[in-house]
Order: sequence, then structure tokens, then C-alpha cells
Amino acid sequence: MKKALGAVAVAAAAALALSACTGSGSSNQAASGGEAKGDISYWLWDANQLPAYQQCADDFHKANPNINVKITQTGWDDYWTNITNGFVAGNGPDVFTDHLSKFGDFVKNNQILALDDAVKNDNVDLKQYQKGLADLWVGKDGKRYGLPKDWDTISLFYNKDMVAKAGLTADQLGTLSWTPQDGGTFEKTVAHLTVDKNGKRGDEAGFDKNNVAVYGLGLAGSGSGNGQTEWSWLTGTTGWTHTDKNPWGTKYNYDDKKFQDTIAWFHSIIDKGYMPKLETTVGASVADTFAAGKAAINANGSWMIGQYFGYKGINVGLAPTPTGPDGKRASMFNGLADSINAATKNPAAATKWVEYLASPACQDVVASKAVVFPAISEATDKAAAAFKAKSVDVTSFTQQVKDSTTFLFPITENAAKVDGIMKPAMDGVFSGKAPASSLTDANSQVNALFQ
Amino acid sequence: MTTLTSAARRRRPINWGRVASWAALVLAIVVTVGPFLWMLRTALSNNHALASQSSSLLPADFTWGAFARVFGLQSQAQAQAEGGSGASINFWQYLVNSVIVSTMITASQVFFSSLAAYAFARLQWPGRDKVFALFLGTLLVPAIFTALPNFLLIKNIGLLNTYLGIALPSMLMTPFAVFFLRQFFLGMSREVEEAAMLDGAKHGRIFFQIVLPNAAAPLATLCLLTFIAAWNDYFWPLLVGNDPAIRVLTVGLGVFKSQSPQGAPDWSGLMAATLVSALPILLLFVAFGKKIVNSIGFSGIK
Amino acid sequence: MTTTSVGTRKPARRSTESDGPKRTALRRGLGDLRVALLFVAPALVGFVLFYLVPTIRGIYLSFTDYSILGNPVWVGVKNYVKIFQDKLVWNAMGVTLEYVLLNIGFQTVIALGLALLMYHVAKSTLIRGVLLLPYLVANVIVALLWFWMLDYQIGIVNQVLQWIGIPRVAFFGNEFWAIPTVAFVNVWRHMGYTALLIFAGLQAIPGHLYEVANLDGASKWQTFWKITMPLLRPVLLLVMVVTITGSFQIFDTVAVTTQGGPVNASRVIQYYIYQRAFSQQDFGYGSALSVILFIILAIVAFLQMKFLRGNENDLS
Repeated sequence: MKKALGAVAVAAAAALALSACTGSGSSNQAASGGEAKGDISYWLWDANQLPAYQQCADDFHKANPNINVKITQTGWDDYWTNITNGFVAGNGPDVFTDHLSKFGDFVKNNQILALDDAVKNDNVDLKQYQKGLADLWVGKDGKRYGLPKDWDTISLFYNKDMVAKAGLTADQLGTLSWTPQDGGTFEKTVAHLTVDKNGKRGDEAGFDKNNVAVYGLGLAGSGSGNGQTEWSWLTGTTGWTHTDKNPWGTKYNYDDKKFQDTIAWFHSIIDKGYMPKLETTVGASVADTFAAGKAAINANGSWMIGQYFGYKGINVGLAPTPTGPDGKRASMFNGLADSINAATKNPAAATKWVEYLASPACQDVVASKAVVFPAISEATDKAAAAFKAKSVDVTSFTQQVKDSTTFLFPITENAAKVDGIMKPAMDGVFSGKAPASSLTDANSQVNALFQ
Repeated sequence: MTTLTSAARRRRPINWGRVASWAALVLAIVVTVGPFLWMLRTALSNNHALASQSSSLLPADFTWGAFARVFGLQSQAQAQAEGGSGASINFWQYLVNSVIVSTMITASQVFFSSLAAYAFARLQWPGRDKVFALFLGTLLVPAIFTALPNFLLIKNIGLLNTYLGIALPSMLMTPFAVFFLRQFFLGMSREVEEAAMLDGAKHGRIFFQIVLPNAAAPLATLCLLTFIAAWNDYFWPLLVGNDPAIRVLTVGLGVFKSQSPQGAPDWSGLMAATLVSALPILLLFVAFGKKIVNSIGFSGIK
Repeated sequence: MTTTSVGTRKPARRSTESDGPKRTALRRGLGDLRVALLFVAPALVGFVLFYLVPTIRGIYLSFTDYSILGNPVWVGVKNYVKIFQDKLVWNAMGVTLEYVLLNIGFQTVIALGLALLMYHVAKSTLIRGVLLLPYLVANVIVALLWFWMLDYQIGIVNQVLQWIGIPRVAFFGNEFWAIPTVAFVNVWRHMGYTALLIFAGLQAIPGHLYEVANLDGASKWQTFWKITMPLLRPVLLLVMVVTITGSFQIFDTVAVTTQGGPVNASRVIQYYIYQRAFSQQDFGYGSALSVILFIILAIVAFLQMKFLRGNENDLS
């Protein structure tokens, strides 16, 4: 028995030793200058962007023969599992594609390097990026943790044939307006585009809301606490913001009437049969459902352009999101950046690579592939031109940026915990199990996280 | 068994119970095979046409493209035109990796587990039953406990992105393998062993020359089950073997799954990949299955 | 767990007796300890390194505040106190139990039925092979496949339902259907495999017992309950222990499909643990939940062993 206890003690000690070896290095500023050479690893998640970045890596190697960049691509879900485990084990990639919803936690735990020194010493021009993108990556401590690589906004993807059949024009779809009270011309259009099994439209007498063949507006889900593609393009027009300030707000506003009225409106058009019930959206992606001809309009992000325009036998058009009570449109403005792992053994080379990724040389390459919008303003124009060459007019995405009708992706701490509370709460409201006012209670739970 | 057949023959020719039995069996086969036909239909479709032809039972815009993607034979532009991701897939490399890892795991795990099972079933030593209960207890350990520390351990001994790193945690034992074999050894006749024992044979010789050959059927069964489990494992190889050179099939074929939030998978590619990667096990089963399935005989499992 | 009472005592004693008289006294106390250690050593190393140490570490972490990325801070039983106040835990327990009952209930009955059919009706290797097919596909892929086939709007199953005049069902999206659907998906993958194990057990039952029963005029029903079931008990024990403990750890299917929703309808305990431990980086809390799950499983397994008395084969 004593022996057994001893063995357990040894095992426990080993376990403690294991768990203690996680921390990170002392200095958390990325090195600039110094000799940059050797191998560095770079991770990203979007396979569609891999070819562009592989070319960047090849070009970079030509310019810096001493540095080899090895790219590993892993799909979104697995990507973050691997990143987290890499941090825990202190290996992970030297440089990786970072997301706004994640980087707060990385900063808090000293997992990524600040880039201020590098930006200063190597004269990185922060003004070359679209307005606001560079500032998204400044942590709570005032330091900069990423250099922007691309951005995305929201637009309406619509089925051209259905719109034409309904007697609507592209111009009409481009000038829709919305209010939370009656839904404005947006709701009228959505209603008109909804068709039941008997061919009756949503705004006609005798419309059967329980047997809808084509919904006017598709639904991806309840959007949890963020609603990027689900509802943020409407809540944003009411003057409502997710948090008291952004980035690094400490109080969420889900108890605001403007927000709850908007969500209640969404529920109302589900009730009227213009949008599918929440329970029917669990399964195939909203884009696939759109391609199957089950919805006339989808609100979705610019990173989905390739997906929508790739479908066979479906004629896709793009329209900007509707204007709201204040007469303006709104779209969340989200961007990705590249960050450096604090555990990198080669900070000098890693820094050089991050700077290259954030430079016109690489972003022009990305632009030419017409997959996403690069962060540098001029590269954005090049990307728009490249899309045009593929006969996709992306004005509805770029216009919001030009008109400054975007608002930034809400960055706070506890992002995952907020999601854990808001997902079921929003599901409850969208499915009609709970009234929109129940979000006030969820909001107090969320805000309790910040006390 | 022979007695039973003759008993069956004695019955009257029309037997409604038998009709119902066959109906149930046919239903089970239909439910089992149906989804595979749907996989095949999907694999032979153009991914971009799948959604718009979701109610057709035939392949949507028939193409071999998905299979070409799986084998990495499609150019990037071609792949993207058919709804693939365009990432390169080194199918044969992944296949070789999977074969190596699964073989390492299977051979080693079954061997070491059989050693342990023999000690639990046949040898007499203090604490035996307690240790066995502990082993069994590992069936209850939530995977969430083990993934992270094991990952750290593999990393600390420098085995990340190696075949051994992927295989090691399941090479020495799994509770199921030990449990399974112990049950068999308990049921095996002791007479031969005892005779050998009287002749002065050591346990090592008895184990290798008597016990193992007599347990060929259960060992083969366990090998097959272990191989299938190793072949299909996804989470662990992803953690420790994400390097493209070392990726096993399940991890490598992850490129067919949805790559970005809100995105949709390359269904055609995923289904083609699934069918292709199940093929080696199927062949294995065809080769050995008859023997395994017919002679499994839990002859007196206790 | 008391699986082990079957005596190997007799041959062991005999083997010690066959040894020289000098060592007999020593060997009586320790038995074949030295040989046994040699045999068990590799497995024991694997057990300690990859199961025991992580488990002990997990138990330690359940008393800490640990965000994975930072260092653990000892907080005593705080996590456990929180668990008893957490409504989602009790919800998760209920949901998991519902899943286990549906999954094990259907799986065992169907597998037993299939095994009997394989044994009495169709002795074809081909049929056995076909029924094993779903097991050859990784569970994540199986989940994805059904997630897509059962989609409300464009899934083929709902399309077929519509053709035969049955209203469409939101299999994964409906609060009532979510768990039964997840259970069904896993029954589909495992029924052939389980049936095969039970079939193997059936083969082991001596045929003359059936003949005797037949001569005695026993009905099929009586034969099944009086002969087949008792003699099948050892195999059923193995199958039940493995499937029930596995069933409680349901995770992949939920993670790939419903992710706990709608609302909390399919937030099974393992998925909840995963969310707390990894997504929300509250690893201490996740560990405490795991410990509680472990204890529950241990009790279940213990009761199972007692109840099924798998060691006592009625033949021997």
C-alpha cells in the first residue's frame, strides 16, 4: 500500500511538472533587425487562400534566400484546436493567421509578440491599410499584436432569376430601407419574394405560411452574441452597438430596446413565413440552401463570394444591405491579421515574414487571386478589379468601406464565455421559445463576466 | 450448429416467422447500404451542382472529378470550378502514413495486450484482480483528461510529427484489447498448457507455442477491430501529426471539410475520399473476414 | 469491479507444486509474480503514462483555476461547489442519460435481433460484412453524412418523406428530435459491429442444448430466455460495459452536428465539458465535471457487473 502511494506521488509530481512547463518567454516584443535566417512555419485555415500565400512564400524566399517559409493549412475548427495546443506545448507555428475573437485571450496570456518595435524600426506604414484595420490589433495594453492582411463586410446575395420573376429590379434591391417597426421596403421585398407551394407570394391574400417553397430571406442561425452575418447589418443601422466602447468594451448592450426590437422583427418575419424557422436551418449551410433555390436572398460575408458564385445553375446578384432608421447602411467590418507566436525560436525571420505578408508585394498577389479583399487600400482596388474580371461586381462590399458605414467587429475579453451564454439565449428568441425581452437577463449574465 | 439446421428442416415449409425474419434482415441491409449509395451518388456529382439538384436520386452533373481530387489529379483551377478547395492532396503519401501508423498500432497493441491478458487470465499473483480492475477503469476516463497531457508528453520526448508519436499512446495497451483477450484466455482449455507445465515448460514458451496459436481467431478479430479504430482515428493524429509529410488519411482528407466559418464542405470530395479510404479496410475484411467472422467463437468467454 | 473471480487458482497451484520444493514456500505467497510482471510490464507502462498520469493530473486540475494558456491556481473545491449550482450541468446529465437510454436500448435490441437472424436465418459472410460497413467509416464522417442527409430543406431523407406524404422533420434542429437523431446516427454506425460480437457469443453456445430443449417441447420463446440469454451473458457483459461507458462519452456526433443546440437540447455532458474546458478556457471546471462523470460511470459499471453477473456462466 505504501509503495502504491509512492507511485501515485511520483505520478502526481510528474503531472505537476508537465503542467508547469507552459509559460512563455520574458520579452514579448518581436525582434527587428538581427540576422534573419532559417526555417519558419506559417499556419492558415482557408484552403482557398493557400495558393496565394504559397506564392507569397515563394516570392519571399527569392528575396530572402536564407529564410524558408513552410505553410500548413488546417480547416477552421481544427485550426484553433491546434493553435491552442501549440501554445500549451510551446511549439505551434512561428507565424499564424489571427482572428479578432481570439487574440484578446492570446494577449492576456502572453502568447503572441507585440510588433511596435518592428513597426517603428522597419517603418511599416500603418496608413496604407483601410481605415481602422490596423487599430483593431492594438491590445488592451496599448501594444500592437498583428499586422492586417484582409477585411470583410456584409452584403445581400440574391437569386437574380427569382428577383426578375417577382418583377423587381437590381436598382430596387440596391435601395431598400428598413425600420424595426414595419420592416420598410426591405420587408415588403422579402415578402414579395416569398412563394408558397401554390405559387402565392408572401404579400398576396391566401398565402400559406406553413407551406413555403421559397423564403424571401434565408437564415443561417441565431447569430449568438455577434450576429455578424445574421443580424448585425440591421442592428448597426439603429445606432446600437454591441458594447459600451470598442475595442475592449466591458459592458454589453443586449438589454437595449433598439437591439431587442430588431431581433423581435426578425422573429416576426419568421412568424409570417418570410424566413425559415430556426429549427430547419440546422444541417446544410445557408449558402447550399440558397443554391437549392429555397431562399431568394442571403445576407453573407465577402469571404463567401467564391462559394455563391461557384454554384451551377444559379444566377447570383449582389446588393448592399438596406438602409436603416438613420438613413444609412451598416456592416460589420472584420479583419484578419498575422501574429507571431511568443514561443518562436526565430523572431527575426518571423517578423520579416509578417512584415512581408502585410506589404503591397504580398497583398497584391492575394488581390490578383480574387478570393478576399486585402487590407491595403490600393490592393483592395486591385482585388475589386480582379473580381470584376471574373464578372463579379463587389461594389456592395467596398461601398460600405468607402462610405464609412462600417462598424468594427466587437472585441472584448471573455469572448468565448459570452458566446456560451448568448448562443442558447438567441436560439430561444429566434425559435420563439422566449420573448426578445429575455435577452435582458442574458445581458446581465454576460456583464457579470466583466466584474 | 448442425443439430440446429436439422431442427430447422423439420419445420413446415411455409413459416411466417421466417418470412418476417427475412423482411427484418432485408430492412437492416437497406438501412445500412442506403447511405453508402447516397455517398457514391454524391461522390460522382459536381459539388457545385449538388445543392440545386438536391431532390434528384442520380448524380448531379456526373463527373469523376471528386475522385480525381482525392488522388490529387485535378489542377487547382479545375478543382475550384467543381467546388473543391484547391488545396493539394498528397493521397498516396497519406495512405502510406495511415498504413504505417495503423500497422504499428495494431501489431504492437495486440501483442502487448495479449501478454497482459495472459497474466491476468492465467498467472497467479498478488494484486492481480485489483490491477485488472484499474486497467478496466481506464474505459471510464474521459478523453478530455488524456489528450492534453499526452500531447505534452509526446512533445517533451520529441516525438511530435513522427509515426511513433502518433502511434505510441495506443501501442502498449488499450483497456478494450486487454479485456477482450483476457475473456478469451479464461475460456480456453487448460489441459494442453498444464501438460506442458508438467513437462517443465516455462510460461514464455507456453504463451508463444500454445496460447497464441490457439487464440488465432480472437487475435485476428482484435487485429481487425484495432486496425479499423486506428485507421479512423482523427483527433489525436491531428494534434501530434499535422505536418503534411506525416498526416494520415483522416487528417489529410480534412481539406474536404468546411474550411471557413459559414462555409460548406466539398461534399463530393468528402464522400469520394471516405469511400476511397474505407476501401483498404474493406479489402482487408474481404481477405480475412470469412475466417474471422466464422471462427470468432467466443468459445466459453467468461 | 469484480470481474475476476473465476478461478485460475487450480492450475496455478498445480504449477507451483510442479516446481522444486525449495521455492514452493516463496512461490505460495507471490505466485507467478515475477513472470507476471514481465508479461504485464509493457501494458503497465502504457497504462501509467497515457492513462493514470493524465487522470491524476486531471483530478489535481479539478481543484484549480486553469485557463490552459496560463498556470493553474489552487482554489480548493470551488469548482465542485459551482457545479452543484450550475443548471446546465443537470440539464447535461439529463440529456446524456436520455441519449444513453435511447442509444443502448435500440442498439442492443437491434444488434441482438440481427445476431439471432445471422445465426438462425442467414449464415452468409456477405451479409455480415455488409452490416459491418458503417463501422468502417470514421464517426466524424458518419455524423457529417447524416447531418447532410437529414437536413430539413435539402436533405434526401426529408425529400423521401415528402414523396411518401409524410411532413418534413427538422431532425437535428428540433428540440424533441435532436437527441433521438444523434442516438440513431450512432446506432446506425454500431449496430452491425455489436451484432457481430453477439453473434460470436451465440456460436459458442453448444448446439445440443437447443436439441434437448426442442425435445422437451420448449417453445422458441422459452428456449430464448432459458438457454440463449443466460449463456450469452458473458458476451453481453463485455458488449454492455464497452458500449455503455462509450455511450456516456458521446461527443463527436454532437460536436459535428448540433453543437449542443437547439438552445440546450443536445448539450451532452462531454460536449459541455469540452466547451467549458477548451472553448471557454476554464479547464479546472471542465476537469471537475470530468471527475464527476468518472465517478458516475464507475458506479454504473459496478452496478452493471453486479447486475449481469457476467462471470458466472451457467454452464460452468
